[in-house]
Amino acid sequence: MRPENYQAVNHPPSNEYELNFGPNHPGIEGNYAFKVKLEGDIVVAARADAGYLHRGFEKLMEGRLWMQNLAIVPRICVPDPVPMEVCYSMGVEAIGGLEVPARAQWLRVLQLELSRIAAHLFFFGGHAATVGLYTTMFWGIADRDLILDLFEEMTGGRVYHIYNIPGGVRRDLPPGFLKRLNALLDYLESRLSDYDDLFFTNRVLVHRARGVGAMDQKQALEWGVTGPNLRACGLPFDVRRDEPYLVYDQLDFEIPTYAAGDDLSRTLVRRAELEQSVRILRQVAERLPSVEGPIRAPVPNPLAWNLPEGESYTRIESSKGELAYYILSTGGAKPYRVHVRGPSQMHAVQVLEKLAIGARLEDVAQIVFSLDSCPPEVDR
Amino acid sequence: MKGNKVIPIETHERVPARQRTNPWAKVFDPFMDFCRSRSLFLLHYCTGCGAVELPPTVTSRFDVERLGIQPMVTPRQADILLVTGYVATKTLKRILLSYEQMQAPKYVIGICSCTVNGGMYWQSYATVKKLNEYLPVDVYIAGCMPRPEAVLHGLQQLMEDIKTGRANAWQDYFNRYDHYLGNQQALFGDRWQTPTDIIGEARHYGLLGEQTLGEHTALLERIKQPLEVPTAGVFSPHSETRET
Amino acid sequence: MSESKAISHRLDDVLKEIEGVRYTRQSKTRIRVDLDADALPTLLELLQGRAGYVHLSAITCVDWIDADQFELIYHVWSYEDKALVSAHIRISRDPGRYVSVYDIYTPAAFFERDIHEMFGVYFEGAPDMEKFILTEWDGPPPMRKEFDTERYVNETFAWQEYNPEWLREISAQGGGIAVKPSEGAL
Repeated sequence: MRPENYQAVNHPPSNEYELNFGPNHPGIEGNYAFKVKLEGDIVVAARADAGYLHRGFEKLMEGRLWMQNLAIVPRICVPDPVPMEVCYSMGVEAIGGLEVPARAQWLRVLQLELSRIAAHLFFFGGHAATVGLYTTMFWGIADRDLILDLFEEMTGGRVYHIYNIPGGVRRDLPPGFLKRLNALLDYLESRLSDYDDLFFTNRVLVHRARGVGAMDQKQALEWGVTGPNLRACGLPFDVRRDEPYLVYDQLDFEIPTYAAGDDLSRTLVRRAELEQSVRILRQVAERLPSVEGPIRAPVPNPLAWNLPEGESYTRIESSKGELAYYILSTGGAKPYRVHVRGPSQMHAVQVLEKLAIGARLEDVAQIVFSLDSCPPEVDR
Repeated sequence: MKGNKVIPIETHERVPARQRTNPWAKVFDPFMDFCRSRSLFLLHYCTGCGAVELPPTVTSRFDVERLGIQPMVTPRQADILLVTGYVATKTLKRILLSYEQMQAPKYVIGICSCTVNGGMYWQSYATVKKLNEYLPVDVYIAGCMPRPEAVLHGLQQLMEDIKTGRANAWQDYFNRYDHYLGNQQALFGDRWQTPTDIIGEARHYGLLGEQTLGEHTALLERIKQPLEVPTAGVFSPHSETRET
Repeated sequence: MSESKAISHRLDDVLKEIEGVRYTRQSKTRIRVDLDADALPTLLELLQGRAGYVHLSAITCVDWIDADQFELIYHVWSYEDKALVSAHIRISRDPGRYVSVYDIYTPAAFFERDIHEMFGVYFEGAPDMEKFILTEWDGPPPMRKEFDTERYVNETFAWQEYNPEWLREISAQGGGIAVKPSEGAL
């Protein structure tokens, strides 16, 4: 941000400097790189450079059975793997005509919202570290670990669960789980005021994040921004409301928005979403004991399961934005084509390149983190 | 953690100890190894999925700092290169660059099963299957992904190895540079070169063995280009007009 | 044909305007449109300008190697109608060339670049056709069906021996378990 009376002067080329951010860089979320061209302290051009995490998922998925793909699908988005599993399962169910029983749907919502809270806690730590408030990272990771403990109880794994399968979920809740869940929700709500004092109303954050990386509504819609980044520009669009899936139409929650569209708004939107997720989880915990029934629809032998011909495009709301899967089946035991559309494919590439222009060098890492990009989604 | 037996894990050929002429070496070397094992800096290069279990390991709950291990951002001041997860071919080049920039003695830990034998992405055209083909690895920690306790156990294993003077894989890189360079050239092409002068370093450390030079290093000598500052970078004139 | 009237009149009018359009209503929020490759840019412009489909969700490419064609699918979403229109076109596999829709939808830049390096389809008029993810890859476009990834892996990479020295030593000492279950938690 330049002071008002700064006159741009045509400096000779020696004032320009190309700087390489990453891949080995703590200011980038994961293994990702981009090059910035600086004029003094201000970025004049930016160019993203991906491919460091490429595994060729879409090719791998074509060579595995429908059930086998569930083992690799969560690994597409590392901090928030649950929406990937759910989206793939929903896509396969849409093609195969499987009807997910009610209890499984509630369990899926439980897992999705817990994963959303865990991803947001991870995000707070990341954003705080870019403005120098390192304690928030320690708190965020520690609180997230409590959620991972619950995941381990429920699914057997801390990070990658492979809990959702086409047709439902794999296991029911262990006894006493809902009590522990409610205790954790009470704990998280009580911590929010501490987080406010430490991070959200901290003068350092407000001073550094306000006005940085701002985009208006028109730009956001044009650049394909979705998720909390779009809601930080004032547009209340959320896939859970626009196209309700699972049991979201029976739940009572709000879509928080902020108007400024800058880094500070994006962080505050995620903080408000954390509160809404806690609200949703309390409703789920209340309803679950009364929802009886099986936890998965009958699926034929997974080793010899030929899905009928068809295609599906499934969209769900991950913690980063709109996640979509296009699955095409030609009647075989393996998919013919699976296309993963991750929200970071827009945020980490185009939006970042455009928002970095005009920012100071010290704010570039902050813009990267506040857009909450997930490089494995970009590279697949 | 109780029940911590030392399990010898060697992923490279046994390296003979360096020839030391200083008579005080017998006293100082074990002492230095002891101190070194208590103060290790991790180069936290998040190369893959396993990196998401690293913040829990480093922060307060599992607290690796009580073992004296701390993250460090630059390879020049780091001791341990953590390869957390699968290694894409593009990332492997950067890992090699970072590895060669680290000062000796340096240690490599391969976390997750993908570094051991390809793991879940064994069919993938973009990931490397066997990490110790390209650089010597001290400790492998299997898992997908390993829990923070497993990572701590592996780090303690490494500390034991350093203290007893067995973690000498970095010397293997100098001793058998031709072998590693040959594998790197087979994967990256014949024009692969890094800015570090490995043969000069091998001479400096007294580790120039008979397997250091060979046909691959001869090829490197022939094709090597001197490093120079590029005049045209990524932002060529025609790309500037796009960035509006 | 009359099912789409339940989504919106604007969409109906737009679809009627293009020749050669066949559309089916797959569900309450999904419409599949099949049309000729030449008519697609016009359809997308009308969808964006007149019918309010402002969000390009994805562009997918499918390799129909037996029919010697590529299928490009443009998924566009409307925040007002809350529905998704998937426009399917077919182009011939050789040469795989098509026109870019970057001037209509800006997110197309990423997808077209991705399809270019993965499938080899060239988009004329796209702002950037340079490699993005596969910058250091010099093989054939990997997502094509003729590229066998397992064969490539077996030719290029070495595998760890199945039971190397260090694994034998670990097995001899009890399998590398840090804390046995009988000993209880840490």
